[in-house]
Amino acid sequence: MGTMLSLQEVTKIYPGAEHIKAVDSLSFDLEEGEICTMVGPSGCGKTTAMKMVNRLIPITSGKILIDGQNISRLDTIELRRSIGYVIQNIGLFPNMTIGENIATIPKLKGWDHDQIAEKVEGLLEIINLPPSEYIDRYPKELSGGQQQRIGVARAMAADPPIMLMDEPFGAIDPINREHLQDEFLKIQEKVNKTIVFVTHDIDEAIKMGDKICLLKDGKLVQFASPEELLTEPANEFVRDFVGGDRTLKRLNLLKVKAAMCPDPPVIMKDESPEKAKSMLNELKADHLIVVDNEKRLMGYVDQEALTKKADEVGDIMRSTDAFLPASSSLKDGLSEIFTHDVGYIIVVDEDKKVLGVLREDGIKEILRK
Amino acid sequence: MEPKVIFPLLKRIIPVAAIILIVIWLYQVYGALDYTIKNLPEFFRLVLEHFFLVIVSMATAGSVGVGLGIIMTRKGFDRFGSAIMVLVNIWQSIPSLGVIALAYGFLPLLGLSGIGVVPALIALFFHAVAPIVRNTYAGIQSVSKDVIEAATGMGMTPNQILFRIEIPNALPVIMGGIRTATAIIVGSAPLACLIGGGGLGFWIFTGIALMDMGILMAGAVPVALIAMFFDTLLARLERIVVSAGIQTEEYQAA
Ligand SMILES: Nc1ncnc2c1ncn2[C@@H]1O[C@H](COP(=O)(O)OP(=O)(O)O)[C@@H](O)[C@H]1O
Ligand SMILES: [Mg+2]
Repeated sequence: MGTMLSLQEVTKIYPGAEHIKAVDSLSFDLEEGEICTMVGPSGCGKTTAMKMVNRLIPITSGKILIDGQNISRLDTIELRRSIGYVIQNIGLFPNMTIGENIATIPKLKGWDHDQIAEKVEGLLEIINLPPSEYIDRYPKELSGGQQQRIGVARAMAADPPIMLMDEPFGAIDPINREHLQDEFLKIQEKVNKTIVFVTHDIDEAIKMGDKICLLKDGKLVQFASPEELLTEPANEFVRDFVGGDRTLKRLNLLKVKAAMCPDPPVIMKDESPEKAKSMLNELKADHLIVVDNEKRLMGYVDQEALTKKADEVGDIMRSTDAFLPASSSLKDGLSEIFTHDVGYIIVVDEDKKVLGVLREDGIKEILRK
Repeated sequence: MEPKVIFPLLKRIIPVAAIILIVIWLYQVYGALDYTIKNLPEFFRLVLEHFFLVIVSMATAGSVGVGLGIIMTRKGFDRFGSAIMVLVNIWQSIPSLGVIALAYGFLPLLGLSGIGVVPALIALFFHAVAPIVRNTYAGIQSVSKDVIEAATGMGMTPNQILFRIEIPNALPVIMGGIRTATAIIVGSAPLACLIGGGGLGFWIFTGIALMDMGILMAGAVPVALIAMFFDTLLARLERIVVSAGIQTEEYQAA
């Protein structure tokens, strides 16, 4: 993992607008596989900064390195073919089918026919548009959300290590936008691109970014992880831009896993009720979580349940739906705690194995940081 | 057969049948048929000449017009684009007879003959080139800026963008210009005989001079049929060359 994209003192002054620097000595480094969301008020220079990376806009001073190479030394066409490009207004080619749209750059790069077909079908699968149904259709037959998924697939077709995305979901309605964001993050887990993602929406920037690059009047105000931006805003401008609901935004961003308390009181389902009683007394707890021999959640027992006669706790335990996966947001966690009114929620992994419990005070503690 | 099948079929057959009936009726009423049969060799010669005038002036106007229209959209030339468009629009407003007269009057000034097939072709060419230039220019200009930006950003060269994106997407508009030009040429071609260019105009003007409706119809009816022939041909061509992705519903159904 090395630095994939590096901007060094990059400045842009448009001819005819010499008195303003559209981008003013912008510097930052991106690691391979990172998403950097570039955010800021309209006109702050996001698009300009992004388009200098694929040289759609010539740089005035400073330099941009991709994988250590100065882009001004590379052939423009070759450079652009190695960078995926997605714009807000999508810009699919209306005269070409979906398949042809996606195949554009691989074709120009001279890939062979089978290789292209395989790639196009693979990408259509990834973006959840079955190839048999969509490959021969034309852009005009698709919804805005579907078109933008094709736009993303087209940008990824030639396996570029870097992608530039200028407000890619900006023109999509809120419900579909959220869906596209989630889908895109899932794709990113598989493809691990280095991405510059421009948005004017701070919530989107927080959700999508590993790093956030916050600009104002062409200048970098803060370059930080979403958590850092929320907890340590560099100045008043950042504080205002992020908004008064910083704590709620953090609840959304943080995962249950970060706030849970591990090693909860558990008991195997084939233990005796006597053992359970003594454990409850010893731990001064109200409940014991009952698990099977692979630590999978089965239910719980409390003093009342233990008054019944049985050989194993498994026979007298109570079932529960007060649990949730570790990858859920703290917001969901908190909501579950209030819904079930139990004081804590059991945290499980994908196989329903018990990982810990989430309590209100655990959430409060992490938010205090 | 289903009404769904019969109806479009009727829609096609009725106009064709109507045209045939009108042609037969015109020929009968004015005695054009007799005249044509009596002068069959001359008829064929005039038809050939007419086709020659139309095809040659179409081909030259088409290639020059599309070429010029494209050049006007290229970097560096685009500044002149709108100025040229103004000229083109003024030019197009000159009536056919005016263009023919201009050829007759101007060519001798350049030391060329104002009489014959060549001046006729030159006149037709100049008259037809305007709508093609205009539509090619407008068609390429109308290709969405987002589409061009996406193509450029992805790493397509200007030539690849021109041939794979701009021209294919401008094609319906370009073809519209070519159809207009063809209509103009087919409509003006009879005037060519006024400066010795030949063609079916010869019978039309003879008919007018002799006040003989038979001769006039023997020239006018084939001219009208040739106009329809070219328009149908181009409509067919358009459906073949224009991508289904940008064809409108109605002419997919047509
Ligand atoms: N082609 C241009 N010529 C002159 N000024 C421009 C041009 N494009 C953008 N600008 C100016 O540069 C600044 C940054 O613009 P832009 O990068 O588009 O901002 P953002 O994408 O953040 O909204 C703005 O002040 C804008 O007016
Ligand atoms: Mg912008």
